[in-house]
Amino acid sequence: MRPSRPHPWPALVLTLASGLPATAQEPLMGGALLGQHQIQQPQRVAQAVTYLKMMRPQLGLSEREGFVPRHSFTNQQGQAIVTLNHTYDGHRVWGSQAVARVLPEGVIESQTKGLRSGISLEGEPRLRGDEAIKLAVAHLAPKGALKEVPSAEQVVFPAQFLGGMSSIPDPQTGRPVLDRKNLVHAKLSKPFVWAYEVRAKLNNREDGLKDLVYLIDANTGSILRINDLIQQAAATTPTPARGTGLGFYRGSVTLNTSKMLDKTYALYDTTRGTLPNPGLSYITSSGTWVPDGSGWSPTGLQIWYGENDTLGNPTYNTFLFQANPKNVWGDGQAFTSWGNENGRNGQTAGVDALSAMTTTWDFYKKVFGREGMDGLGTSAMAYVLMTNAYSRDNAYWSIGEAGMYLGVGTYPANPNGFQSMTDLDVIAHEMTHGVSSPSQTHYWVNSAGFEEAGLNEATSDFFSQMVKTYASRAIGASDTRIPANGTDWQIGMNVGHGTPIRRMDKPSSDQRSQDGWYDGLRYMDGHFSAGPLNRALFFLAQGASSSSKSASYSVYLPGGMTGIGNDAAARIWFKTVTERLIGDGTGSLTFESARTEALSVAEELYGHGSTQVIAVENAFAAVNVGDAHGQKPRPKVLFADWRNGDYIVSTHTTDYDNRQVFPKGETVVPLITVLNASNTEVAWSLGGPSMFNGADPWVSKGGVLNADGSWTTPNVMGWHSITGTSKTDPNYFAEGRTFLIDMDTDMDLEQDALDMAGIAFSWYLTNSLNPAHSVFEAPWVDDADVAFFVDAMKSTWPVK
Amino acid sequence: MRIRTLSLLFYGLVLALSLACGGGHTGAVADETAPTAMAEGLSYKDPAGNGWRLVKDASSTNVRIVLNLVGPSGFKTRGVGFNLQAPTTVKFGTFSNGLPIGDPGVYQLLSAGSVDPNEPVAMTGGVKEGNLLTVGIYQKDRGQSAKDSGRTLCQIVLLPGDRARSGAQLPLTIPKAKVIPEDIGAVTDELWLLDKKMKMADITIAIGTLTAR
Repeated sequence: MRPSRPHPWPALVLTLASGLPATAQEPLMGGALLGQHQIQQPQRVAQAVTYLKMMRPQLGLSEREGFVPRHSFTNQQGQAIVTLNHTYDGHRVWGSQAVARVLPEGVIESQTKGLRSGISLEGEPRLRGDEAIKLAVAHLAPKGALKEVPSAEQVVFPAQFLGGMSSIPDPQTGRPVLDRKNLVHAKLSKPFVWAYEVRAKLNNREDGLKDLVYLIDANTGSILRINDLIQQAAATTPTPARGTGLGFYRGSVTLNTSKMLDKTYALYDTTRGTLPNPGLSYITSSGTWVPDGSGWSPTGLQIWYGENDTLGNPTYNTFLFQANPKNVWGDGQAFTSWGNENGRNGQTAGVDALSAMTTTWDFYKKVFGREGMDGLGTSAMAYVLMTNAYSRDNAYWSIGEAGMYLGVGTYPANPNGFQSMTDLDVIAHEMTHGVSSPSQTHYWVNSAGFEEAGLNEATSDFFSQMVKTYASRAIGASDTRIPANGTDWQIGMNVGHGTPIRRMDKPSSDQRSQDGWYDGLRYMDGHFSAGPLNRALFFLAQGASSSSKSASYSVYLPGGMTGIGNDAAARIWFKTVTERLIGDGTGSLTFESARTEALSVAEELYGHGSTQVIAVENAFAAVNVGDAHGQKPRPKVLFADWRNGDYIVSTHTTDYDNRQVFPKGETVVPLITVLNASNTEVAWSLGGPSMFNGADPWVSKGGVLNADGSWTTPNVMGWHSITGTSKTDPNYFAEGRTFLIDMDTDMDLEQDALDMAGIAFSWYLTNSLNPAHSVFEAPWVDDADVAFFVDAMKSTWPVK
Repeated sequence: MRIRTLSLLFYGLVLALSLACGGGHTGAVADETAPTAMAEGLSYKDPAGNGWRLVKDASSTNVRIVLNLVGPSGFKTRGVGFNLQAPTTVKFGTFSNGLPIGDPGVYQLLSAGSVDPNEPVAMTGGVKEGNLLTVGIYQKDRGQSAKDSGRTLCQIVLLPGDRARSGAQLPLTIPKAKVIPEDIGAVTDELWLLDKKMKMADITIAIGTLTAR
């Protein structure tokens, strides 16, 4: 989708008439000139607001609607990029936004496809904000204390965003599994309703880390949607200082530290970051962010550690690395000094983290002119040596805290575990999440079930490699350009002690990730559905081989392609991510939309028909997203969503897309569609790629495939995968997820409509009277049982 | 499927005979080989009695028979479900809700106090192998009071299916039919008692005569 240009200003006509994009040859603007444009940013933001208000009739909006700037920055072409919230009677319209680009010559372009029109709401909500908070907290049912007082904002909620099926990590495998507690079943009869957006955060021993956004119907109190924001993953100030450190990964380095008021030093860099870190701000009183008696404040890059007892168990206390009298840090060794995390051995992880954070921060600032992860200068921070169950062998970025949690690792005690999660590419990966998801209203969904999760992880993977390349540049080389070489395109090679976590040139090398897009890719965890975009970005930068023996050969582009280099590839993708693929928490971005926007950006930067544009086209085609330049449409297999109009599909547009509900132990007919092929037949197979070659306990495969194309489902309740592969070309296939339920609630060995009575019998009963009354074989029933029963009946025994 | 095969065979014979006789004489041949006209619609005669029964709704037409399920007056229930077996000369239709079962509004399908008119309701239906209609409509909330069954509790639709000879009786049978009785126990009951009461009750539904016309 290209940005719309609803009302070109005269200057735009001149630009188009010249036939030469202003940025075709040199997309970057110099420092002084860029500075002049940055000074004008506030006026340009105001221009964008005025312009969009003027465009309301053409956009289908009423006088009651308006725009409020949410985020803005000036890019390296001198353009002010302004993201604006859409409002109705002054209240934000959830998931509705516009992006305006104010060009240096005054032209305004707007991207308005994300706007929701046709709003008509009267009256005031029946519930108050505090009542909505109570409902959200009651659902959250925290065992420990809330980290912050929950907030509620009145918004307009579009019915199309009903749903939100969140995942939780399986306690044994760590992989995401369906969080049934957070399955939303509400249904709306109107396209828009008043709602409250309630934010609730937990971080304690009993509840772990949760950062949830609830959308509560402001009249009925129904939960409309739940999103999880955690992504895997004094008047006197201290004096900036230069320390030295010995890191486990980075060896001997110099560090930007601080000399605190007591004359000791801390891993705290006040020269980077101009706004306070939101995750640390709660420590200060009244949110004034005034430095405390030691000189510390939430502003500046800083490294904290998780405290442990002498046996390595977390105490759940965290502290800044501080009180160092000599400003010499770390011993370069793996951590073993449990209970003494602030000592030399513990400092080693802090040395690696601060050094990597500094490099990443500078990469974005020097190469792309971006101030901090969010472009606003908000300070970033890291917790290292984390040892709780979720963090020990993990690294993740918290949007709300603008910071990351980095595990201590379990290797070598666990031969398959990781070393300290503080290597450069891991930290660059996490900090890039802060670029693609810069705020709690501007973020990419990162749950399995959304292609957006794969885009999210791949973007972080790609820029982690760009940071690695940047860090490897020769002394004296430009610090505003990314070198042509300098990375092995492998993520986490060091933390994996020689085995990478992922490979961008050949993602499937890990036996889990995918090399190409297919319908159903979304079912994978984002770290593995990232494969196709990882590979596309690798191809864009480095090219693809035409030799089938090469790791960089693609069956979807057998002739190969020439890459356009790291720097150009990174500039196209950075601009695509920060200006076009604006996440709004709805999870609606897809690989197809990524291709479309990247092509549009390449055209803007390098001109229509340029080598770079063709390379983008071919790089995506090489991972089965769109067609190669000049190529005819290729086959496409789609797991048919044939239940249009029924309850599940009409109210859960994203969550249940491509899912079919069937009863267990019955013969059913899953449907599938094959496009652009003379032979539309498929070969069915049980299971699918998302099952990680059978190792995923979340989803099962089973039953019997019959010769007539039907499937006798196994007698096992739960998620099952089934895959249809084109008989024309086995490289094209689709994986469908089906949920098998136990409909025989009366246990008469016949699944029929009479079984729904069992659900009615058990309504409100939560005392395990008869588990079989639930189609989920659970000790209670609720509307999920009703909805799934109705859906399975329609899927299996439709009226013909 | 067997009946459909025979029907096609029958038409095939007619066509073959017609061709053999040549043009201009087809009227005479047809008279000799089609002694009985094929039905275009259906007619339904209500059963006798005041018990559980399927009776024709006034909205019925020759090509769309709407049957109302009515129970005995004074007998309170919380829901009903049944399976109906029909020959392939009968098809089942749907209502505006897309289901083969219609809700006349006697049962309170929403939970008590609900302000959401679109919450999932326990009403469902489908057609299983062998042309077996299965439908059910239930009050899922035990907080809703049981309703008198002497009114139309739900509806189904019969349509002409495979071609049948006009005048042929089309047999309908109900192999299974049950209701949720008024007393299903209280949440406060002892568990063993509650479990004992949480049972559906068998009923027998009388069916009228369905004829192809």
